Amino acid sequence: MVVFRRFESAIDQGIGRRKLGYLVLVLVILFFLWFPNDTSQSNYTKTVFISGFFYAIMSSSWALLAGIAGQFSFGHMAFMGIGAYAAGLIARDGITFALLGVSIGPESISAVGSIIIGTIAAGAVGLVIGWLLLRLRAAYLALFTIAFSELFRIMMLTEYDYTGGSNGLSLRPLLQIADVNAARQVEYYLMFGLLIVCLFALYRVANSPIGLFLRAMREDEDAASALGVNVVRYKILVFVFTSMIVGFAGAIFYSDVGSERIIPEQLEILQMSLIIAYAVIGGMESLIGAAAGAFISRYLLEAMRQVVITLPFGMTTYDGSDAFVWEPGYWRFALFGVVMVFTLRYMRNGLLYPIITWFSGRDIAMKETVSRRESDDDQAARIEADDE
Amino acid sequence: MSDLHLELNNVSKRFGGLQAVDHVSFTVTEPELIGMIGPNGAGKTTLTNLMSGMLKPSSGTIYLNGRRIDGHPPYDVTRAGLGRTFQITRALGRMTVMENMMVPGLAHNPRGGRADLEARAHEILTLLTIDHLTNELSRALSGGQRKLLELGRLLMLDPAVIILDEPFAGVHPRLQDTITNYINRVHENGKAIMFISHNMGAVFELSQRLIVLHHGAVIADGAPDAVRNDPAVIDAYLGHDEDD
Repeated sequence: MVVFRRFESAIDQGIGRRKLGYLVLVLVILFFLWFPNDTSQSNYTKTVFISGFFYAIMSSSWALLAGIAGQFSFGHMAFMGIGAYAAGLIARDGITFALLGVSIGPESISAVGSIIIGTIAAGAVGLVIGWLLLRLRAAYLALFTIAFSELFRIMMLTEYDYTGGSNGLSLRPLLQIADVNAARQVEYYLMFGLLIVCLFALYRVANSPIGLFLRAMREDEDAASALGVNVVRYKILVFVFTSMIVGFAGAIFYSDVGSERIIPEQLEILQMSLIIAYAVIGGMESLIGAAAGAFISRYLLEAMRQVVITLPFGMTTYDGSDAFVWEPGYWRFALFGVVMVFTLRYMRNGLLYPIITWFSGRDIAMKETVSRRESDDDQAARIEADDE
Repeated sequence: MSDLHLELNNVSKRFGGLQAVDHVSFTVTEPELIGMIGPNGAGKTTLTNLMSGMLKPSSGTIYLNGRRIDGHPPYDVTRAGLGRTFQITRALGRMTVMENMMVPGLAHNPRGGRADLEARAHEILTLLTIDHLTNELSRALSGGQRKLLELGRLLMLDPAVIILDEPFAGVHPRLQDTITNYINRVHENGKAIMFISHNMGAVFELSQRLIVLHHGAVIADGAPDAVRNDPAVIDAYLGHDEDD
């Protein structure tokens, strides 16, 4: 602890915490840019990272919706699915505007075009759902979005002729690179770039006046409205914005970038619960925390498929092996559950919150103001003393 | 303040079988200090909710400076120039005091520079003697400090009419003086202030005009001295003899 205090003091007097934070962030980005060039890394590890980037987008955008705006939605995966399914169906069947008498064939729609249409479709449904949710709060909002999410999943499952049912739907491949290694490299950079772009967009919104209004709504919608915040507008806006982000990410990820097809199983409540769990563990009021929580959790869940513990001092297992191999299977999710229970009980702002707070320097301001706290009696005495 | 004109015409609100507000009419055309009193359940807070857009009237109209505001959402009423505080303070708990001030500042003046708004917020917090709590989360504030913060947020909106719902409830007597000073100062800047209070000392000390509600209806509206001696008001507060 003493060593840490000395380190803290040296940083405060030197580079400063915020600058150090930016430096760490740059180093993390550089690591991820360098990683695929490490020839010792397998394509499997890169695939795990690609999946981690995707879930980081899902969790950080959910953090804006639920952690910052207070809209505890279970429909996030459904909006992602709408983006992916819409992109896939448009690319396969084309689109017809009956009222305008215009029909666009699938051959005229590129993969990028289908992704854009998928994103717009997710935003349009987000607009409708946001409007329907205007009068719902807390548990009712959660229940509504669970119902919506299940409704969409069952539609995708049962409309086999259109959606492929449980076999899923293939989207038009976004990249067509013959060499597997090169393809994986490009897919990696594409998803990492997408994560950076999405995080930047989310960060800009969260730190703008809109972000301030969203937090005010989270605290008390009536009070925010009485202070001049157009609650209806911002509630719908946050649903449309986050729906478009996940719709966009979903359409890209399932365009044979991270996965070759979208399946209804991905839209199950369990999958949505994992998104929430990642955000809670990382810190649902912090976009970076939620993204890091998702990435690290995904990586650890994959790494724990097979745990190899090399035994020390020449010890061997009963079958003569010098390493103990444990395949926890679904038990790794149980362990994940324990971490979540611990987080909710002891670190409600997430496991990464203390680190992020430290780097932001917010804890200094908090310590200063805590020392100045006073009761009404103390404040009255101070005012009297000032008067005299 | 020549353009100040708040007008309530036969405003009523019914909750099922309960007539909470019953054909209330009055007009505010001067930057007056108006006390609104009445026994518990008289309809004071309901009337405040109707004026501020939290509730829609069952019938009647409300105009502010020529613009009809009844049934409009609260944010719209606030932007039209009517601000309010709540009986139970509603500080935005997990936001700092400065952020609490910036919400109405930016909502009311989206193109205002952040630095200017922060300077203005700091000025107001100093006036309210809570400037030392700028970076504090508002949930850590005491009851009295929260009341002061609510008043501060209103000033960021710069409304023409301010409604204060029980501004003295649960506040240390010395902080009540701070609130009284605030009310007087804001009034001197040309604002009309209506305040609901059960603190009769403060009501009679501050008010230039008193509106008395009973069973949702206005039973007296006038100068405090006249209202104090009004038999209907005495009857509402003290009851009457069965033989009378």
